[in-house]
Amino acid sequence: MSKAWGVVLAAWMLVMVVAMPAQAQEKTGIKPGFTLKPGTARIVLLRPAIKVGAQSTAGLFEPNADWTAQARENIGRSLAKAQGGLGNSVVECSEPIGADAAMLAEYQDLFDTVVQSVIEFQFFPGNRLPTKKRKDQFEWGLGDGLARLPAFAGADYALFVTTEDHFGSTGRKVLQVFAALARVPVTAGVHKGFAGLVDLRTGELVWLNADMQMGGDVRDAEGADKRVRQLLEGFPGRPVPAPVAVASAH
Amino acid sequence: MSAYRFAAAALLFATPAMAGNKLIVPGERIAVAKSPLTVQPTSEWNRLGARRGRNAETWTIDGDSLNDLTFYGGIETGKPLFREANKRSKPLPTVGATMLVTDIPVLFENTYRIALGTATMTVGTIEPVTFAGAKGVRFTYDFVREDETLHRRGEARGAFVGGRLYLVTYEAPALHYYDRSVAAARQVAESARL
Amino acid sequence: MRTIAAALAATLLGAVPLAGAAAPVADKIAPLPPYVAAYQPTNVDERGAWMMADEYERHLRDSPEVIRDPALNAYVRGVLCRTVGDDRCKGVRLYILHIPAFNASMTANGAMTIWSGALLRLRSEAELGAVLGHEFGHFELRHTVEGFRNQRRGTDVMAWASVLMTNSAALQVGVLGSLYRFDRGQEQAADMLGVRYLAGSGYPAAAAADVWERMMSEADATAIGRHRKADQRYTAGFFATHPTELSRATYLRAFASGVDGGGSAEGVRYREALAPWLPMLLTDQIKRNDFGGSEYLLGRLAADGWTTPLLFARGELYRERGNPRDLVNAAEFYEQAIERGDAPPEAQRGLGLALLRGQQTDAGKAALREYLRRKPDAADASIISTLVAS
Repeated sequence: MSKAWGVVLAAWMLVMVVAMPAQAQEKTGIKPGFTLKPGTARIVLLRPAIKVGAQSTAGLFEPNADWTAQARENIGRSLAKAQGGLGNSVVECSEPIGADAAMLAEYQDLFDTVVQSVIEFQFFPGNRLPTKKRKDQFEWGLGDGLARLPAFAGADYALFVTTEDHFGSTGRKVLQVFAALARVPVTAGVHKGFAGLVDLRTGELVWLNADMQMGGDVRDAEGADKRVRQLLEGFPGRPVPAPVAVASAH
Repeated sequence: MSAYRFAAAALLFATPAMAGNKLIVPGERIAVAKSPLTVQPTSEWNRLGARRGRNAETWTIDGDSLNDLTFYGGIETGKPLFREANKRSKPLPTVGATMLVTDIPVLFENTYRIALGTATMTVGTIEPVTFAGAKGVRFTYDFVREDETLHRRGEARGAFVGGRLYLVTYEAPALHYYDRSVAAARQVAESARL
Repeated sequence: MRTIAAALAATLLGAVPLAGAAAPVADKIAPLPPYVAAYQPTNVDERGAWMMADEYERHLRDSPEVIRDPALNAYVRGVLCRTVGDDRCKGVRLYILHIPAFNASMTANGAMTIWSGALLRLRSEAELGAVLGHEFGHFELRHTVEGFRNQRRGTDVMAWASVLMTNSAALQVGVLGSLYRFDRGQEQAADMLGVRYLAGSGYPAAAAADVWERMMSEADATAIGRHRKADQRYTAGFFATHPTELSRATYLRAFASGVDGGGSAEGVRYREALAPWLPMLLTDQIKRNDFGGSEYLLGRLAADGWTTPLLFARGELYRERGNPRDLVNAAEFYEQAIERGDAPPEAQRGLGLALLRGQQTDAGKAALREYLRRKPDAADASIISTLVAS
């Protein structure tokens, strides 16, 4: 709640981040035992939540309309290219209006909040909750109300995509940690990317890629391709390319 | 490297070093918020290492953005509920000597309004309840955190005992999470004893 | 910036007539230049199923803090248009935010915000016009854009950066110091332009000086209420982005006196439009734990007499601070409100609670009983009943 508390947590987490080797940070979660066979499911892709901006002189996020629009265009194109290759049918969510739109926006917010919690309290090794430390455990969800929204009628899974990029000046990179209000550990700039698959029947988050330092500059087409590639890396049910036989006569 | 030194320096000026997050084992009666207040949970929780005040303690199941059970143990006259971010320009209200039980939700609401920086905090029903063996108050509330749009709900129980304020609050996003853990949170709050 | 400020100042000063002359406003100062709405985003277009709306304006639209009441929005917009003219007013999207502090802002892409705390503190349409006009001045002079140049990678077109103060971010001056801040030259330039708008609008131009003076007095009252000295350097809160000192009100008043056409400030009309909102605005203010500032504000609002909502709010304010003398005063204010005959049931509640805290148990319970009689379905009826029964 209070900012001072947030600052202390941010400082502590920064120390932990810098002290820990980079490999210790997990970035992917899968519900134990979850698999998805190609060609078996209908997946609805929500309108990605995309924010791009700069760090102001005081270190706070300032949205940039131009960059955000470019990112939206680029990521949209990259996602459209990738959608076909995910092994299952992925269709864009039809834009709801009125109360449904507000509810969908609330679910998007909830998704972001859940993922921030996954990062802060499970992925981040220095801060794990004891109840989230058990082997292979990945128990997160959005509740089963999602399936009732008309946008998801007839679908099996919902795919949420969130990206947020704060481009900071060199002098401000350290201060950015404190500006993030202790919600996530950041080292330099924020290049946040979340991709999560939700089982509509149960509301469970069955698969998640989440990283605060994703690659690719979303303001241009190649960068967005790279970002989307990272977001969808390891997507369940994606057809695996035929392995090259090691010692064979082919 | 400079980032590390900067952060280390910041820690020196900040509050005492935080312990890590600790598992709360169900079935045992334990003291909370460094105070005489004790509770006996029947389900698992995690206690967060980070404290928002000297006499505050937060438990969670999935992370405090998703479920937040906070104990305020024995806040005395003249003190605010938690550590203020900016004492100079946004001082938080403090416990008053002659406060009535009806002043508890007011103190809480005003504290959140100032800390949140908005007026989107509202208190709902306010009822009498026995809390920690004393004549107390139970109230519900709704709010949105700063820089967020996700709606959150809360329920609190509090009482004055020996001139000090004891309070237990449970907060979670209104969507799904509030209902998910409210029963467990209520069980803990109702088990409170002084 | 300084050259523009100098130019505007020269224009204004040069046009000031001799004392006693009663020339019409139009002759006194150079007309405002024709307005060119530049910086239209031409590179955004809709493709396929994906909507290209400004993401943060969408956030603003969905934000729980936006006050959407059509009548209030229409009224505030009307004052803006009367102040800066229809050409300038056309492209502006106005958002009234439910934030209990004084602030107004305008982004480089034309989104203007004003906080509910500002509406509480302003006393007339002229003053509202002065505030909105000042912010529009920053926008017209591109101050926000100049503070923030960002080259878009890979193309020749210079992207314009939007500096939107997100709802509570602007209020949270916070750990890192102030947000984007205009410098003195920019402030003066926006002031000059604001005065020119006012002069052309029919509102008296001195309104701007009045607002600044009261803001500074309120800041002094807040400081004194918190047992600090009123140091007369105003840099916190609203002043973080509009730093100021006394000379500002002085020069504004000087310029205004030269150009005033003597129109009406429309104080009565303003107060009538805000009357339905006053109870909510006062409640928000009392809950800010700023005794000195709130007492000052209530005193100014009561310049034409202590009305029922003001008396009720004063009772709540004193009861909240809760010292023994405060409780006695609070009871008096509630009683005065009740005597007027149109006080809300909450006045009886406030009276009862103040008396109870002050150990006047019988009288306190009687007032609470009256509250319950008038509002049996109150959200706090059950807890109030226990206080009556005990």
